[in-house]
This record gives sequence, structure tokens and C-alpha cells, in this order.
Amino acid sequence: MKLKHKIYKLIDISGLQLFDPIARLLFKEEPKVQIKRITQFIIIPAVTFCLFLLMWQIMAPRHTTKSGEVPTPIRVVDAARGIWTFHKREKQKSEAFITTPEDSKKLIQSSKERFNEIETKLIPAQEELINKLKDEESIWKDKNINPKIVNFSKSESAIKEKEKLIEKELDELALSIGINEKDKKDLLLKKLKEFENNRSLWKADIAEGKGNVSILESKKYNPLEKAQRIKDRLEEEKQYLSVYIGILTKNRNSKVEDLNNKLTEYTTGYYDAESTKLMSTAKRLVRQQSRIQKTEESEYSAAKTLPYQTLRSLLCVFTGFILATIIAVPLGILCGLNKSFMCAFTPFIAIFKPVSPIVWLPIGLIVVGGFIPDPENNAFISIINSLPIFGSFEVNPAFLASAITVSLCSLWPTLVNTALGVSSIDSDHLNVARVLNLNFKERLKSVIIPSALPLIFAGLRISIGVGWMVLIAAELLASSEGIGKFVWDMFNNGSSDSFAQMFVVVFLVGGIGFMLDRIMIVLQRLVSFDESASSI
Amino acid sequence: MKNIIKKRVLKIVATIVFAGLGAQHAISQDLDLEKDELKFGFIKLTDCAPIVIAKEKGFFEDEGLQVEVIAQPNWKTLLDNVINGDLDGAHMLSGQPIAATIGFGTKAHIITAFTMDLNGNGITVANSIWDQMKENDPKLDTSKPKHPITADSLKPIVQEKLDNGEKLQMGMVFPVSTHNYELRYWLASAGIHPGMYTKNDIGGRTDAEVELSVTPPPMMPATLEAGNIQGYCVGEPWNQQAVAKNIGVPVTTNYDIWKNNPEKVFGVTKEWADENPNTHLAVIKALIRAGQWLDATKKKGIFRRGLDLVNREEAARILSQPNYVGADYEVIKNSMTGFFYFQKSDKREMPDFNVFYRYYCTYPWYSDGIWFLTQMRRWGQITEPKSNEWYHKTAKEVYRPDIYLKAAKMLLDEGVIDKNDIPWDTDGYKPPTSDFIDGIEYNGKKPLEYLKGHKIGHKN
Repeated sequence: MKLKHKIYKLIDISGLQLFDPIARLLFKEEPKVQIKRITQFIIIPAVTFCLFLLMWQIMAPRHTTKSGEVPTPIRVVDAARGIWTFHKREKQKSEAFITTPEDSKKLIQSSKERFNEIETKLIPAQEELINKLKDEESIWKDKNINPKIVNFSKSESAIKEKEKLIEKELDELALSIGINEKDKKDLLLKKLKEFENNRSLWKADIAEGKGNVSILESKKYNPLEKAQRIKDRLEEEKQYLSVYIGILTKNRNSKVEDLNNKLTEYTTGYYDAESTKLMSTAKRLVRQQSRIQKTEESEYSAAKTLPYQTLRSLLCVFTGFILATIIAVPLGILCGLNKSFMCAFTPFIAIFKPVSPIVWLPIGLIVVGGFIPDPENNAFISIINSLPIFGSFEVNPAFLASAITVSLCSLWPTLVNTALGVSSIDSDHLNVARVLNLNFKERLKSVIIPSALPLIFAGLRISIGVGWMVLIAAELLASSEGIGKFVWDMFNNGSSDSFAQMFVVVFLVGGIGFMLDRIMIVLQRLVSFDESASSI
Repeated sequence: MKNIIKKRVLKIVATIVFAGLGAQHAISQDLDLEKDELKFGFIKLTDCAPIVIAKEKGFFEDEGLQVEVIAQPNWKTLLDNVINGDLDGAHMLSGQPIAATIGFGTKAHIITAFTMDLNGNGITVANSIWDQMKENDPKLDTSKPKHPITADSLKPIVQEKLDNGEKLQMGMVFPVSTHNYELRYWLASAGIHPGMYTKNDIGGRTDAEVELSVTPPPMMPATLEAGNIQGYCVGEPWNQQAVAKNIGVPVTTNYDIWKNNPEKVFGVTKEWADENPNTHLAVIKALIRAGQWLDATKKKGIFRRGLDLVNREEAARILSQPNYVGADYEVIKNSMTGFFYFQKSDKREMPDFNVFYRYYCTYPWYSDGIWFLTQMRRWGQITEPKSNEWYHKTAKEVYRPDIYLKAAKMLLDEGVIDKNDIPWDTDGYKPPTSDFIDGIEYNGKKPLEYLKGHKIGHKN
């Protein structure tokens, strides 16, 4: 095959349709058509996305709630950078714990220099800037915010005055009416009712005004906000550096050194000891040796950061997905082959399919908790944790419960599609199988599975999409270390960064879901023989 | 400016020298640790500080422990994780070890040998409620009303709602939380009935004039704003968040309800403590050091009264990291450094808002446990009347001053703490006190008499 066709086929299989017109253009095939397709596939989506970002950047600051502004794309990028910095720092702390003495010295030196720089130069400079901006802020407030607030208080007191006046009027009116003046009494009643109605309207107006005032009061002067954020970052870095220097100074090597010094002391003590003290010195010596051994293997317990959590989420979704596939594909094949089976299973499928993952999860937790009451010493968990990939992610019951929830929710599309695929096999193929007198196993292997594969993979593609969506919710509720837990923790922080961090997670989860979908498309196209186009 | 730089440089030099010294300070007291990699859980509230500080300032490491401090999503999951062994220990509400041991909720024998802090909660009401309270009691209508504010001015509002066929809704964090009992105490001291627990009603709404419901702390400002609840009792930073966002007004703190009340404890299961006694001692030692660091004070100077809590700013900076409490530094700083904003215009000094070590805070007092037991009985969480002996016996099952004193003795021998910091000779009962908002006296040795003294709730 010519190179050209090989490349076309590669692009086709990989599902990256948008590179097709570029490749064709490069091979000088129908340039006008290709340019049109490039415009359609690449330029128009890119422009739309940029327009979206632009609109977002412009409209976000106009939507202020008491919980803060809707974050702009720039704030979101900033938050992402903050998450990455945190991850890097935790990693550095873990590495610092096991550095050699020479490296420690160098790192301590550079960290101290940076620390001094921050403390003596950067922070004071930032503080000066903040003071200047505070002055600017009060000018800005006087111009934009305070007049409105003053207006409101004026109108509020005006309303209160009016109320008092009308009350006084009514009181005087009431005093002036005689006992038998029925008409005047009716008039008084009418006026009082009118006054009460107006009063509740005015109360509502005042409440609304107060709401507006509190929104105005919570408006922040952006340059000052930015400067304070920068100062915060510097303070955080300073804090991190002091912890980092502390770890470098007291790290594993220095601890082992101290322990070894004590060990020599104990050793000489043991060999110099007389019989009565022999046992105690021996015990001390042995204990010290085991302590040294433990210390040499110890690691710094850093916090779990988003990259680790993302990988663990992926592991969980694949576990659940594979579990779902193992259950759904055989069941689907059975249902597809035998109409009675299908009818038997239909009520179960119909009832369990719409159940939300948030309902399955507590059930999953209870079931897993029941089977594994003591996770530390449980054999099943230890077996899983001894496997290569699972071990580094510390599988626990919450992980298993999330995986089970994912499989319970994502097995239905695979099941239904497999059944459909198997039941809609071309009868010609089945006739050939009968003519060749194939037994059940051979029929399954040579006819049924291959012809049902495209639909099975279509089902798998939907399943992984559903599973990924379900996983985040399951992890959040089960508090299994993953993206779901990250979301809940950041939300619980209630910090000014939290809102922006949620958006980072939106794009992260969407991006990963997109990649998972792409992988399934590639697999699907590899087994398809009908050139069915997949959407971009 | 130059002076400040000089001082700062000296501070840096001192820190580095001290860190250097620390490297030579041998791993303290040769305790034979059964387990040296631990996992502790916490909830994102500022009073998890002792655990966080013990990790970040290296106190755990000094004891040879590598500790992972993991945020938990809610109190129930935290308790479940401690019970099933996923966590070795956790930051717990004072009521949790007690409730778990007596079987209210999940049953498990949980003990505590360390009280993490005193005070630290506040009761916040929505702006509209505060406006009505000001109308009911014009004395509150100033920029700095007199404290403590009782629930008396809330009573007409409660009555109005009842007349309309509704009930005032308030939030708290957990059925056996200090917040629940303090909120109920505050309401009851003004004659408002907060509802009883019965065998059939585990929501605690029977006969209630005000309905209390469980809300997770981070959702409290949002639910307050949405109007689903009209007030809540919670720890920091959620009261200051409400002030910062103009959603509500903290009307009182639990310091006013019961001066220096016990708030959180460090809880472990009894099995874990029995299997890992030396590890437990090492943990308690590190926590005591953390409490001491947090409450380190320095006199403000000759011309200013009061004490400066010198380490609190750094503590606030550490707590504002996203894997700990995570709220903005500015919000955490206030209450930790001894200030509290009751309204944006009403900032008061409250140096005892969070107490982590002073006033013998860290000792696990039996009388604290008995107070919680009396409140559980008062509101019906304990469904049958119990004898005096039962209260004392149960408190002794949960609170373990023996472990605490052993750890403290080790620290004393190492010269880390002062002899006067610890109440060595006490029998575990604090002296009787009437530092409550309604002035009723509490004597830990006479729980049944205390129960009889209240107007609302079970009296036996």
C-alpha cells in the first residue's frame, strides 16, 4: 500500500477525523474541498471555543453572588496552577525526606536564600503595594459604592419617617371620631387596612434594598484582590520553605545517623556489660537495630494530591468497567441467543437500569463493609494490594464500593447492546454455521461473537462514559481517594479559590472522559467492518 | 523598617539554629512503637489544629511516627472509618466516644485520652432574624450590643412562627455534637423547647418549638442564605464566613454559654489502644506538645494588658492549606488570633475563643464526659433514667486520664513541659462551676441533681 493510503487508514482508525483534510491537503488531493473541510473541522470549532472563552471572561465579573464572583478563565488557570504547585511541593517534601547529606546541604542553602528573599524583599514590597491599593480602593468605593449605599439609607429613613407620619395622622384621626360616627369609623378602618398593606410593601422594598446593599458591600476592588492573592502566595511559599528546610535538616539520613551513633554506644555498652546487665543491654541493642531498619525504610507521609487522585480514579473506573463487562457480555450473549432468556431478564433490566448510583453506593458500602469488617487484616484486600498496580494505590473498602457502584450502573448499556448485537446476526451467517455443523462453542467463537462485536463495542463505549460520570459521584460519597473526594474537600474549604477549583475539575473530568471515549472509538473502529462513521 | 528586618533576620537565624539543634535532639524516650505509620482523620474545622500542627511542626516525627492526616467528609464517615480500622484515630466531637460506647448510633468502645480544645463554636442567625431580635429587644440595636446575648429576644419570633403553623429551623452538625447540646442549652435557658429524642423519634423533634436538623458545616452558610434554616451552631470558620459574606450574625459563642467548655477530643478505639499502648502514648505526647505550641503566649508588653498568642498566625497559615482546613487565611486568622467579628462593625477581643492547652484543657476530665451524659439524658438520647453510679462508670470507661498522665510524665521528664501545666493530683472531676449562661451550677460528682435543676427536658 502506498504511504498515502497507510496514513489515511491510520487516521481513520484512530478516530482523529479532523486530521484527515490536513493529510489530504498535504498529498494535494482536491485542495479546494480540503480547505473547506479544514475550515469546518478545525477552524470553526476553534473559533467557537475562543469566542466562548471571551464571553466567559467578559460576563463572569458581572455575576456576583454573596459566595463570590463567577471565576473568569484566568482565575481558573490560576487555580489550576495552585493545585499543581501544591502537588509539586508535596512531592518535593517526600524527596527531601530521603536526600543524601550533600544534596541536603545544597538544597537547604538555596531554600534559605529564597526564604530570605521572600521575607526581606518580596513581602514588604507587596505590602507597600497593598497599602497603596487600599487607598485606591477607598477612592473607588467612594465613587461607585458608597453613594448607592447612602441613597439606600436615605430612602430607608424617608420611608420610616413616612410611616411615623401616617401613624400619627391615623392616631389623631381616631381620637377625633365620636362614638356614633359610623361613616368616619368605616373610613378609619379603610385607611388602616391601606396603611398595613403599604407597610408590608415598604418592608419588602427595604429588604430588597438591604440585599442590594450587602451585594454592593461585598464587591471587591480587583487590583487589591489580586495584590492580596499574590501576597498570600508568597506567605504560603514562605511557610512551605520553612517546613521544607525542617524536613531536609531532620531527614531520614540524619535520623539514621543519630540512631547509628546511639547504636555504637549501645554496642559498646553491651560488650562491656556484666552478666546481670547483659539481658537489658542486649534487648536495648536489638531494639535499636530494628528501629534503624524501620527508619531506613520509612517514607514521608505526604498529602494525596490531584494527580495521584486522578490516577486512582482511573484505576477505579477501569476496575468497575471490567467487572461490568465480565458480567454484561456473557449475559447479553445468552439473552441475544435465546428469546426466553431475554424475556426472563427484561423485568430486571427495566427496573435496575434507571437506579441512580447514589442509591447503589450506600448498598455497596454496606455489602462491602459486611464482607470486610476488618480491612487491615483481611485476606482479600491484601491479595489485591499485592498485585502490581493496585498495590501502589492502597485499595480499601471504599474503593471497592465505588467500583461496584460503577459496574452496577454501567453494565446496562453493554448488556442491552450485546443482546441486540447477538440477536440481529445475519441469518445467512447462522445458516452457514448450521450447514457446516458447527457445535455451540465453535459457533460462538467463529460466527456469533465476531458479528456482534461492533455493537458490543458500541455498548462498551457508552458504558465507560456512564461509568466515568458515576465514578465521581460514588467517590464523593464514599470518600474514596479520587477526583470525587478532591471535589468535596475543595468545596468544604469554602475558600475564595474553591469556585475556580470546581471549574478546573470540570475541565479535567471532561478531558479525561473525552480521552476514554476516544480510546473506545479506536477499539470500536478496529473491530468494525462496516466503515460506520463515528462522530468527531 | 530596618528594625523589623533585623528582628526578622534574627528570627530566621533562631529558627534555623533551633532546627539544627532539633537534629541533634535524639528521638525522645525510647518507646517501643508497635506501629509507626498512622492515619488520622479530621473534619475541616479550625480546632483540628493540634493534629495538624503535630504533623507540620514535626512533633509526630520526633516520636518516630509518620502520620497521614486525611480529611473526612462528615462526622459519621469519620466515626465509621475509625471503627473499621481505616483510620487509627481521629479528631472527634466530645460526644462521639461517649455515644458510641453507650450504643447511641454505631456501637463501639471508643476511648479518649486527650481533649483537643475548649470553646470555639458560635451560634449564628440569619440577618432577618437578627433584625427581628433587635426589634424585640431594642438594647441589641447598637453597633456593640452587650454580651452574652440570650435567646430571650428570639422567643417572640419562635412564638410568631408557631402561630403561623411553622417552626423555626436551626442547624447543628451531628446528633451527639457539642453544638447540638449547646444550642439546646441556649434555647432552653430562655424557655424555648428544642425537642426531645424518643425511642421512635431519633430526629429529636418531639414537642419541639424550634426544629434542629443536621447540616454539614460547609453547607451551613449556603442553607442559611437559602432560608432553609434560620440559624445554626457550628465551629469556625463557618461563623466568620457568615459575617464575611454578610449572610448572618453570630449572636453568641459557646464561651458565653459555658465558659471553657470541652469541645473536641482525640478518639481511638479501645482495641487499638490496647494493641498499641506505646504508639498511643507517643501520639498523646506529640499532641500535648502541639497544644502547648498553639497556646504559647508572650506578655504584650508593659503598657498593654493581656497576652499575645505568638504562634497562632503561623497556625492559621498552616491551617489555610487546601489539604487541611482550606478556608482563606484571613477568615481563619481572626478567631485563631483571639478576635471575633460579631458583625462587621463589632470586632471583639476573645483570646479564649480557642483554648488548646491553658486551663488544663488537654486533660480528659471525667466531669466533661458526665456533662455530656447528662445532656444526652436530658434530651432523651438516653431513653431510660440511670443511676449516679452509671454516669461515673460510663465516664470512666471512655475517658482515660491514666494514659494522658503517663504521656505527660514522659514529657515532664524530658523537660518539654512545665510541672504546673498538668493537674497531676486531680481525681478527674473539675470543681463545681456556675459559669453558664443561665447560672445553674454544675457539679460533676452529682449528675442527677444537675438534671433536676433544669426546667426543660427529662429531670431524672
